[in-house]
Amino acid sequence: MTETIRRVVTYTVYRVVALALTVVVGVYLAILIANMGGYVDQIRKAQIDEAVGASVLGDRSLQGLPPSELRRIIDQRKEIEYKRLGLDKPFIVRSFAYLWDALTLNLGRSEQLSSDSGSRQVRLILLERLPATLLLFGTANLLLFFFSLFAGLWLSRRYGGFLDRLVIALTPTSVAPAWFYGIFLILIFASLLKVLPFGGMVEAPPPKDTLQYALSVLKHMILPTLALWLSSIFISIYSRRTFFLIFASEDYVEMARAKGLPSGIIERRYILRPTLPTIITQFAFLLIGLWGGAIILETVFNWPGIGRLTFQAIGLYDTPVIVASTVIYAYLLALTVFLLDIVYALVDPRVKVGAEGGAL
Amino acid sequence: MREKTEVQNRIKPGLARPLLRVEDLKLYFRTTQGIVQAVDTISFALGRTQALAVLGESGCGKTSLAKAILRLLPRNVQTYSGRVELDGVDVMSWSEERFRREVRWTKVSMVAQAAMNSLNPVLRVGEQIAEPLIVHRGMDKKSAWARAREVVQLVGVPADFLQRYAFELSGGMRQRAVIAMALVTNPDLVILDEPTSSLDVLTQANIMNVLKNIKREFEKSFVLITHDIATSSELADCVAIMYAGQLVEWGTSEQFYPKPLHPYSQKLMASVPRLREERALDFIPGRPPSLINPPRGCRFAERCPSKFFQCEQEPPMIEVQGGRLVKCWLYR
Repeated sequence: MTETIRRVVTYTVYRVVALALTVVVGVYLAILIANMGGYVDQIRKAQIDEAVGASVLGDRSLQGLPPSELRRIIDQRKEIEYKRLGLDKPFIVRSFAYLWDALTLNLGRSEQLSSDSGSRQVRLILLERLPATLLLFGTANLLLFFFSLFAGLWLSRRYGGFLDRLVIALTPTSVAPAWFYGIFLILIFASLLKVLPFGGMVEAPPPKDTLQYALSVLKHMILPTLALWLSSIFISIYSRRTFFLIFASEDYVEMARAKGLPSGIIERRYILRPTLPTIITQFAFLLIGLWGGAIILETVFNWPGIGRLTFQAIGLYDTPVIVASTVIYAYLLALTVFLLDIVYALVDPRVKVGAEGGAL
Repeated sequence: MREKTEVQNRIKPGLARPLLRVEDLKLYFRTTQGIVQAVDTISFALGRTQALAVLGESGCGKTSLAKAILRLLPRNVQTYSGRVELDGVDVMSWSEERFRREVRWTKVSMVAQAAMNSLNPVLRVGEQIAEPLIVHRGMDKKSAWARAREVVQLVGVPADFLQRYAFELSGGMRQRAVIAMALVTNPDLVILDEPTSSLDVLTQANIMNVLKNIKREFEKSFVLITHDIATSSELADCVAIMYAGQLVEWGTSEQFYPKPLHPYSQKLMASVPRLREERALDFIPGRPPSLINPPRGCRFAERCPSKFFQCEQEPPMIEVQGGRLVKCWLYR
């Protein structure tokens, strides 16, 4: 027993260290790229040179001084400005300061965007947007995951039937991204039928009553959730079904059938259980993958989430916000993988670190 | 045709009430190349506490025969017909649900060919052995595990192995665990499909001894499917030879092993090495025919050293002295 605990702790620590390293490297690379490997410093220095030069030459109180004296003043002021912005230190040194700031979520101040409460703190802006994204994508993904899981299982029992062939035929519809379906859904349900809102997260004057507020959010969630669901449902069902068909021909499934177990037990214990790690991985990747699509979908539905924020930030060249959302993404990614590892160890006895598996 | 049916009706003479009786069993598969006649009109009977060895080359339909008896059909079945009787009751006509409840593992259990992979990798071995008791006998978990503990010790697996997972057992232990799983509900008949093929000789011998003891002590019937003639002689009371989806010879062990009748059986026996006997190992020229378009007439004719004009027509099962059956014109 203590052996097991020791093993689990070792495993967890090992994974945390590995993931932390991954995040550090990822964020550092993002900083290097966002600063064009230090070239951005050259641009900023040139901007300072020009501004200082213009201000000194345009200063009436300094007129009449000999050119060498002017030169000296310009250089002096440039140095002060470089020092103020930290440009006197080499980029490689400052890049680590940036890294530290990013990792500690000391995300600085935005250049253009502000939070609803009027703050320019990038961290506050992000924290304000994050719940909206998590609510929408969490809901949509859970619905998608469980629906396709059980539909796939159900369909694998009806191999070659009408519904099976129908799903296969509809699989190519998943080529279109969620926002594409979103546009049509808005057109039909908001514009033509006028039963659901065009976008946003809550009615224009938000209802005071908590229940009313929740209902309003729910109503606004229907179309974006449906768009996400429609864009992946058929391919998910199809891949689950194929996956279950493959695993249903394993020898131990055949054995379970020979044992005369009812099909419910066979499906739960002999098909679902052994395939759970793979299913969970697929789910995690789906989750991570949908983050990328969130930018356009949130923009189409005017959903006040991280994706829409990133879209706005890109449009306004608001670098701190762009870097900050990258950092948040890296953290979420690492967290997902970490949780995945723990779930793996829980559902699959074969996953053991440091244990010599195999025969006696 | 009529004559043939008559002979088949008398199959397994001397058995008033057989435990298992298979009659005109057919199992054909649909493939892209055509219809595979894996089990083609097979009839035999097996008495209580008897062991029947079904011998034949790889691909002759032995495993399909086992699966046909337990109605474990793949998705691409084209024909599945005939009679399977257990204790005189035709179970072929039963519904899938009744068959599952009353035949599988209650009357007939099976040790599948790939016993190495027959255990679920994410369930404890004990759980899988106790499972049929909970499902079929309605036992509670505790007493089912107690019974499982008894049975595994019977086949030489330490009781604490029940707590382990399949990947923590060696090949021999896994095979024993699967045999224990087949015995746990105390069925009348156990079908053993190549139970020792993937094991080393020592483990093979060990497991055959376990099976012999079980047969003697618990009065079980076995259908032993194998290509290993030497091992089969350890356990078998009677022998059936399969060739290209058909039964070509049937006889008791005392009759068969010293003097096989069918030219195919003779060739098969001649290919087994013997101790203290200087002779070159024999082999059968050619290949077994495809089960998709089996040749008309005798299916072995092409490779048969004693082929003659009559082999163009399919021979019936011919009864010879002592109730032996052979599907060959030579014994007409």
